[in-house]
Amino acid sequence: MKGSDNQEKLVYQIIEDAGNKGIWSRDIRYKSNLPLTEINKILKNLESKKLIKAVKSVAASKKKVYMLYNLQPDRSVTGGAWYSDQDFESEFVEVLNQQCFKFLQTKAETARESKQNPMIQRNSSFASSHEVWKYICELGISKVELSMEDIETILNTLIYDGKVEMTIIAAKEGTVGSVDGHMKLYRAVSPIIPPTGLVRAPCGLCPVFDDCHEGGEISPSNCIYMTEWLEF
Amino acid sequence: MTQAEIKLCSLLLQEHFGEIVEKIGVHLIRTGSQPLRVIAHDTGTSLDQVKKALCVLIQHNLVIYQVHKRGVVEYEAQCHRVLRMLRYPRYIYTAKTLYSDTGELIVEELLLNGKMTMSAVVKKVADRLTETMEDGKTMDYAEVSNTFVRLVDTHFVQRCPLVPATENSDTGPPPPAPTLVISEKDMYLVPKLSLIGKGKRRRSSDEDATGEPKAKRPKQTTDNKEPIPDDGIYWQANLDRFHQHFRDQAIVSAVANRMDQTSSEIVRTMLRMSEVTTPSGAPFTQPLSSNEIFRSLPVGYNISKQVLDQYLTLLADDPLEFVGKSGDSGGGMYVINLHKALGSLATATLESVVQERFGSRCARIFRLVLQKKHLEQKQVEDFAMIPAKEAKDMLYKMLSENFISLQEIPKTPDHAPSRTFYLYTVNILSAARMLLHRCYKSVANLIERRQFETKENKLDACEIQVDETIFLLESYIESTMKRQ
Repeated sequence: MKGSDNQEKLVYQIIEDAGNKGIWSRDIRYKSNLPLTEINKILKNLESKKLIKAVKSVAASKKKVYMLYNLQPDRSVTGGAWYSDQDFESEFVEVLNQQCFKFLQTKAETARESKQNPMIQRNSSFASSHEVWKYICELGISKVELSMEDIETILNTLIYDGKVEMTIIAAKEGTVGSVDGHMKLYRAVSPIIPPTGLVRAPCGLCPVFDDCHEGGEISPSNCIYMTEWLEF
Repeated sequence: MTQAEIKLCSLLLQEHFGEIVEKIGVHLIRTGSQPLRVIAHDTGTSLDQVKKALCVLIQHNLVIYQVHKRGVVEYEAQCHRVLRMLRYPRYIYTAKTLYSDTGELIVEELLLNGKMTMSAVVKKVADRLTETMEDGKTMDYAEVSNTFVRLVDTHFVQRCPLVPATENSDTGPPPPAPTLVISEKDMYLVPKLSLIGKGKRRRSSDEDATGEPKAKRPKQTTDNKEPIPDDGIYWQANLDRFHQHFRDQAIVSAVANRMDQTSSEIVRTMLRMSEVTTPSGAPFTQPLSSNEIFRSLPVGYNISKQVLDQYLTLLADDPLEFVGKSGDSGGGMYVINLHKALGSLATATLESVVQERFGSRCARIFRLVLQKKHLEQKQVEDFAMIPAKEAKDMLYKMLSENFISLQEIPKTPDHAPSRTFYLYTVNILSAARMLLHRCYKSVANLIERRQFETKENKLDACEIQVDETIFLLESYIESTMKRQ
């Protein structure tokens, strides 16, 4: 750090303290009480000396945070495994989603075919998050290394799709895949009701439902959706 | 009563009873309870016609009357009862599945005529059944009576309230309208009748000669001159019991979808055992011990007691929470959580509608907000793993259709938007009501289109399907209101 004056040393210290989350230029200004022009000059200086670098945050794409040159940016800044270069990878998530679901589905199928007593059947249709993680790793569809938490977020989206249910059981500390003494188990399920009656009528899906009344421009007697639907 | 409901009632009344009854009925629904003269004056119909229309409506339990002070009788329409007319085909079909053709015709006659005496029902049904049988065979009254008694025993048919028998008839002029009473134990009491006879086939020669029907008619009326033994005891269909049956069906099929056939059979047995012991609005059934359930399983099902216990434990542990364990005596006491079951079914209906209307990604967001109760915009994107732009778009779409609502939590007293938390949340009760209203309007639209087209088949079936959604949502709303 030869050749830098006290101000640069101060700014460098502040950035170092921010660790791998990085710090925004305005925050540097608050902490050091230096005027904006000075800060910008110092930051440019430090960057050219390859002591710090700027990383674009995924949360607010205009914001740049500064951190030490050789630090790996934290997940909250880059977005983790699901973001590559600030872009959310939807297809990657979709593919993982489908693969996990297929795995759980086949497990449930085999359990049902075995026709043993119901307790065993149900218990064998469960898969722990660790099992799913191993399966996905072995499949090798991911270029990025995925952790068990990543797989759990994918499995959670399956729960929100209504295709999978989860239970938590207490497990001994030593067993594979247990976190803090409990394990999460997942199981493929089917929905409890078939698509409901309302959506089988054209009115259930109609976009102009609120404008429709007898004698108006849009009415049941001249509804084009109904005409189409009655053609079948 | 909302506009959509009034429109639907008017369409139903018009189809079943005609213009005049429709006019009077809709007027009463709109304005609440009114005396006779006011009705005649406001609708501009003659007093005579109003009386006849009211007779029809009262006969079918669509209008009730009350004597107020100063001797004025006011008539009030039961809007929800009119809406039940949409469900008549389902009631008749249920009777058919449970009690075969005889039961079907009994329930059909009762629904079409409002109230009838037992002998009249038996005679009419026997006649109708005889017509459909082969030549030479007739339907015996005894068989029809048996089915009737079975329907009463399972509470599908009940007695109508009667005029109470007054011993002292000299207490002054009779009141302008009798107050009808029925005691709980009399409701399902079948009078001892010995109905002997066989169904009469309508002679086909009636249609040939024009002179002959006139001669035959006086002969038939003389047959009916004999006094009817159960005059004054009228029967009506017990719609609440049918609704209970539909609710049980929905629960059983939900369990079958989520678990397997055997579990659903066990749940069906438990529900059948609590049919007559649990009042219709109760949130839980009576506790049933595992031994009792084992004894009441249907004959064909031979699973061992151990396996039954395992199934019951699995049912009680399932995240669905339809079955709960309430104690350990008698091998384990289990109850069915009816309110929770209706809630799950209503939620599943809402999810299904969101999925069909907006797509599966929207459904994912909807279920996410449902499970987590309150979420911020950013959290929704993170949990659902949907890009921010799309997630925002979907949330706003659902917000505009009132499936999701916003909860504001201000950080500062001045509620400045930049310093307020906005949380998305789903209020199931209000979403259910909104959807119910939409269902009513949809059915009204379908009926109108059907009348316009005169093509019947597809639309009738569709009305019945929409009615299934109506039933689930209404039961859930009723059950929630009772608990508050």
